[in-house]
Amino acid sequence: MVMRAVNYPLFVLTVLLALVASIALFPTGLAHWRPEWLAMLVIYWVLRAPGRFGILTAWTLGLLLDVLEGSALGIHALSLSLVAALVLAAHQRLQMYPLPQQCLVVFLFVGLGQMLVHFVHQMLGIPRGGFEYLYPALSSALVWPVFLVLMDGINRKLS
Amino acid sequence: MLGTRVLLAVVLSLALVAGDRFTPLGDPLRGWLTNALTPVYWLADVPTRMGDWLTTISTSRGDLIDELDTLKARMLVLERRSQRYTSLMAENNRLRELLNSSAALDDRVLVADIIGLTPDPFNHEVILDKGTRDGVLPGQAILDDSGLMGQVVHSSALSSRVVLISDNSHAVPVEVNRSGARAVLLGTGERDRLELAHVPDTVDVREGDLLVSSGLGGRFPQGYPVARVSRIERNPGEPFASVSARPMASLNSSRHVLVVFTRQSQPERQDDSRDNDGEAN
Repeated sequence: MVMRAVNYPLFVLTVLLALVASIALFPTGLAHWRPEWLAMLVIYWVLRAPGRFGILTAWTLGLLLDVLEGSALGIHALSLSLVAALVLAAHQRLQMYPLPQQCLVVFLFVGLGQMLVHFVHQMLGIPRGGFEYLYPALSSALVWPVFLVLMDGINRKLS
Repeated sequence: MLGTRVLLAVVLSLALVAGDRFTPLGDPLRGWLTNALTPVYWLADVPTRMGDWLTTISTSRGDLIDELDTLKARMLVLERRSQRYTSLMAENNRLRELLNSSAALDDRVLVADIIGLTPDPFNHEVILDKGTRDGVLPGQAILDDSGLMGQVVHSSALSSRVVLISDNSHAVPVEVNRSGARAVLLGTGERDRLELAHVPDTVDVREGDLLVSSGLGGRFPQGYPVARVSRIERNPGEPFASVSARPMASLNSSRHVLVVFTRQSQPERQDDSRDNDGEAN
């Protein structure tokens, strides 16, 4: 389903919610498992409207995430633009995939993005943990079906 | 076409990363974006404030009266202590003058609220609701009611970012309160464990010792409790003893914190305008 008209107010609202969800509303004990809401949002919007949203959108959102996380500016911008580029390159096939396969792709894309973030942090000499950085990719993939159904539902209702 | 755009994004991002990490050029952009993101911080804090509000309206009158009584009793105890403290401070200053050293004046503090945690689980950082508009600048120490919490690393107009002493890139110069032995206390990335670095086996430190900030290095004010030594392992095969300590401040649960203005970091306008506004000595 590629959308003809994009509901921009809805886009802004979902971005705001995703930004809030990336700093709040999650139990502190499970912080390592917080899904990458912004990455999922980028995948969703690029998948649904590849003509409107792309690398520039993802880059801007990544910059905002950098500010929220207090990481060096540009790290998440880099990782999210990569995710957006991957989705752009494969969106025609991704639309056809059944849901479980889509989840797998989401795991792969978010995981690659996380890996890039981890890599740049390591290059800058900022100490990080072990493979915990891949947990969000796993939780994002698990949340993806609910996320997709919810977003599609809202989109269909409003358009 | 896609390739060019990806390449552009990658080059731009990497330039930005390098620029932000190795030069101070990124700071204005970060401050500006932080201000733009104020609604996000505000929204993220709504659930906590709702919870606080619910607790406030659902507390019974009896409980409030009880709490008031305990607080009054506690205030009496503290006032008595502070009466003696005034005279002790005067005496201390006189003695210091006799010794020809500079007087240790009281630090000013500003009360701030923690409005957010960093979402990155590898970073131990919190966000405060006071920024440069209230005179909060990078480098200032943050305390809670029981000890040192961390220091400001970045401040924008309305909020500031604090790195906690448990962050694994953080270190505090401390001394053992009992013996005066100096050491550097490192964060480990765990919330409830800090480590003393490079402590020779012979240094006078015991389990249960209080570590206070030594003021060496000029970053942290002197004499605030930082941690209590929880475990010491002396292994003859190792060059240094391994000393673990538990932070005094409740790094996980504090909500109200104090920003310390030491004599050097105190802006001039602090003197007249802020006396009636959430400030105490």
